[in-house]
Amino acid sequence: MTEPKFDRLRERLAEVTDLSKAATLLFWDQRVMMPPGGSAARAEALSTLSTLAQERFVAADIGRLLEDLRGIEEGSEYESFESSLIRVTRRDYEKATRVPPDLVGEMSKAAALALSAWGPAKEESNFEALRPHLETHLELKHRYVECFDPPDETYDVLLDNYEPDMKTAEVREIFEQLKQQLVPLVQEIGEAGEVDDSFLRQSFDPESQREFALAILGRFGYTDDEWRLDQTSHPFQATPGYADIRLTSNFRPNDLTSLFATMHEFGHGLYERGVDSTLARTPLGSGVSLGLHESQSRTWENLVGRSRSFWRFFYPRLQESFSDQLRSVDEEQFYRAINRVHPSLIRIDADEVTYNMHIILRFELEQELIEGRLAVKDLPAAWNERMAAYLDVEVPNDAQGVLQDMHWAGGGFGYFPTYSLGNVISLQIWERVQEELGDLDQGFERGEFDSLREWLQEHLYVLGRKFTPQETIERVTGSRIDAKPYVRYLREKLAPQPA
Amino acid sequence: MSADTASAASLEHLKRILGEVADLKHAEAVLDWDARVSMPPAGAEARAEVSATLTRNSHERFVADDVGELLGELDGLDTDPDSDEAALIRVTHRLWERTRRVPSELVGEMARANGVAVAAWDQAKAASDFASFAPHLERQLELKQRYIECFPEIETAYDVLLEDYEEGMTTTEVVTVFDRLKEELIELVERRREDSADDQLLRGPFPVVLQQEAGRRVLEAFGSDESTWRIDETPHPFASKPGVGDIRLTTHTDENDLTSLFSTMHEFGHGIYEYDVDSSYARTPLGAGASSALHESQSRTWENLVGRSPGFWRWFYPQLQTLFAETLGGVDEVSFVRGINAVRPGLIRGDADEVTYGLHIILRFELEQELLAGSVSVHDLPEIWKARMQDYLGVEVPDDARGVLQDMHWAVGLFGYFPTYQLGNVISVQIWERAVADLGNLDERFSRGEFSSLREWLREHVYRHGSKYPPRDLLRRVTGSDLDPDPYLRYLHAKFA
Repeated sequence: MTEPKFDRLRERLAEVTDLSKAATLLFWDQRVMMPPGGSAARAEALSTLSTLAQERFVAADIGRLLEDLRGIEEGSEYESFESSLIRVTRRDYEKATRVPPDLVGEMSKAAALALSAWGPAKEESNFEALRPHLETHLELKHRYVECFDPPDETYDVLLDNYEPDMKTAEVREIFEQLKQQLVPLVQEIGEAGEVDDSFLRQSFDPESQREFALAILGRFGYTDDEWRLDQTSHPFQATPGYADIRLTSNFRPNDLTSLFATMHEFGHGLYERGVDSTLARTPLGSGVSLGLHESQSRTWENLVGRSRSFWRFFYPRLQESFSDQLRSVDEEQFYRAINRVHPSLIRIDADEVTYNMHIILRFELEQELIEGRLAVKDLPAAWNERMAAYLDVEVPNDAQGVLQDMHWAGGGFGYFPTYSLGNVISLQIWERVQEELGDLDQGFERGEFDSLREWLQEHLYVLGRKFTPQETIERVTGSRIDAKPYVRYLREKLAPQPA
Repeated sequence: MSADTASAASLEHLKRILGEVADLKHAEAVLDWDARVSMPPAGAEARAEVSATLTRNSHERFVADDVGELLGELDGLDTDPDSDEAALIRVTHRLWERTRRVPSELVGEMARANGVAVAAWDQAKAASDFASFAPHLERQLELKQRYIECFPEIETAYDVLLEDYEEGMTTTEVVTVFDRLKEELIELVERRREDSADDQLLRGPFPVVLQQEAGRRVLEAFGSDESTWRIDETPHPFASKPGVGDIRLTTHTDENDLTSLFSTMHEFGHGIYEYDVDSSYARTPLGAGASSALHESQSRTWENLVGRSPGFWRWFYPQLQTLFAETLGGVDEVSFVRGINAVRPGLIRGDADEVTYGLHIILRFELEQELLAGSVSVHDLPEIWKARMQDYLGVEVPDDARGVLQDMHWAVGLFGYFPTYQLGNVISVQIWERAVADLGNLDERFSRGEFSSLREWLREHVYRHGSKYPPRDLLRRVTGSDLDPDPYLRYLHAKFA
């Protein structure tokens, strides 16, 4: 393609991408490397960078280029790089230019203030300290929603930031199915008796855990040339540049959960690593949505990392690394312990089944808040009531209840549902992989994960943001989003076997 | 609106722009640090693009017309010439004019040439093959000539280059100081040729983690703390300050010697200077050290004047001996201090002792001028290098890797930078004499592990001023005199003669 206007658009977009990649690195550095004394200066630098990237993107000449390139878009194959780049950029551009910079500024300032209030509020279990911030957020969200054409439901506009084109009604339908199936499943499992997982809460040397996690990742496809793994209190993944994939995990001395967190972050990293190199330095060069992203982190954490065949290979090795702690625990006991289903208070500690109930609860409350059916001051009571109804647990205080997550403090309304959508999508893709590759367990038992990784790479990761999330799911699985495979999986794996 | 409030508004506006430029430079510094410390190697290609984009953006923002207009509005501002505002306007104006002089195409060409030449230099050095590097050096010289032509009003070509690192310094002035040093240093080296100090005892092995522990203890005693500082390992040590409250040092620890300890103290000197700049100068061009030589004077102060002093080792040697009981158990303090201060003419600048170091620099300074004047051709450079190493230091250069190819500076277009190293040494002792005059016996304080009075004195007289004063003015304020090699020569004679 030698259309000068297209080349100019690419150049402009490359610059915007570079600026946001620089911001990504600064964000990573702040959490992993920066001495704490640097935070004030870092906040300034990050704000300047994000503002600059935003200004460069919403510039009028990008709008003109997009108009001038309509012919090229329509004259090229839908799947072509050119058409996809123009199409996706236009969608991003139209969305970005709807929101006045002042409002963007107000929202990010409100988030910064609320996040710094959230820490102490959680510490002291004092919801009242966060309440005014949440009220401000909701006000700002209403102003944000008003920037767009009237939606079917207000929540649609928020959801669209994380799962573009997904409608609230569709999510509700999927979550209703999950709720109907999972509430009784949790009960059945509870009635079948307790699984002993106490041996998972012994002392495990963090450095040995890290070595073991790296041994797993090495089998998955992690190389020192392109990846790194660091320690932070909240695990995350960042991609500050093409072929530069950074994971963090929290290796704690008293349990083995960091192994799963590491595999989870690896899934995010692998998706980013697999995006086609020709999409680098364009808006197409990353995973397509949070739901799709989460489907991949959950694939590597749960579908691979909590499977029997995976541990057939790794458990003897784990026993060797932690022989004092695990000598008398056999593989089956271990497998059952890491897959124990047990209702609990904290989302991030939840098992594969109850996790979704935590999400559904948040999804419902978010809608009620945004629609004004629930006042912020009544939120803690509503939370506690629903925890009792869905999971039969009593919330002793707000720190372990409504204050546990930072998402709302950060203004992230509409984010939570993508976690469960990710679970749902992960199984749709997984069933498809199995149809094409047959039995994956044999490979896993030998510590081989290449065929899975390559399939995902070729069918999903490579696409980046060329297609919408819905189009992407359909291309990969042949169907629309569908909860059935996921429910089937949970039942088969975790429902009590009749004696 | 009165003239005063109009000016105040212009100044605020200017500061806002300078703040944005500083933020972009903050990001560049983090990217650069990360590329050298933490980036997975495969990320290099994408990183080069991101860095280039940031550099272009900060450059464009700074040289923009509106900065010039604001400076114009502020020119008549009636402020105390000694005020921070006047300094900010002066420094920004000078920088803006100099930066505007150089066309962006030339800036781009120089950046690209650096990228290509440094890769070629790496290979040429590994293979000790000067011929493969020669065309790149010729290209760099050609670009430097074009750069120099951007400043037609400056008569001496080399002055243009010096001005980038050492505002107001002239080649003539450097020549005068270096000629004096050369004569005395050659003689001093000659006299120390039979140095009996046993530096074999410094050959280790010194386990890396224990050296790092030693480095941490020293840094802590000097006054660094974990909430603001960090130290990492890189092949080439450096110091970086992405922003206020964020000081990063690196060192290179080799099991076979103790040089990492000295490079740690060296980088600490750079770090503490930056750390102690008045925080109200943050996000402006005043918020960094005054010049390359002033900076180097402080790295050399902490590395040599403190770190190789008898007082320092009276305090630290017992700890070091405990850490390395096997290797140092039988070495007494006096022999150790003589060992770390041995004078040994050698091939490599980076390994040179306090006496011979200056001659390595003088040689480079002379060759740079000759190359620019065309009186030495790139082709003849290796031979002339060898001949002069023989003349000045009496050493024979066996190959170009350990000769003309040893430093990266010329590959990345740094001409005019080398002299600042030796000017730093000269200045370090000028300032030191002042500190001793004010504080009395420092050696005694060091022997108690007390470094805070020196640090506080330097903060008060040097560091906090950042770039507020031109280097010459700062030196006068601190020492009452201009650049003067006498204190430095006195120091060397007293210590080594």
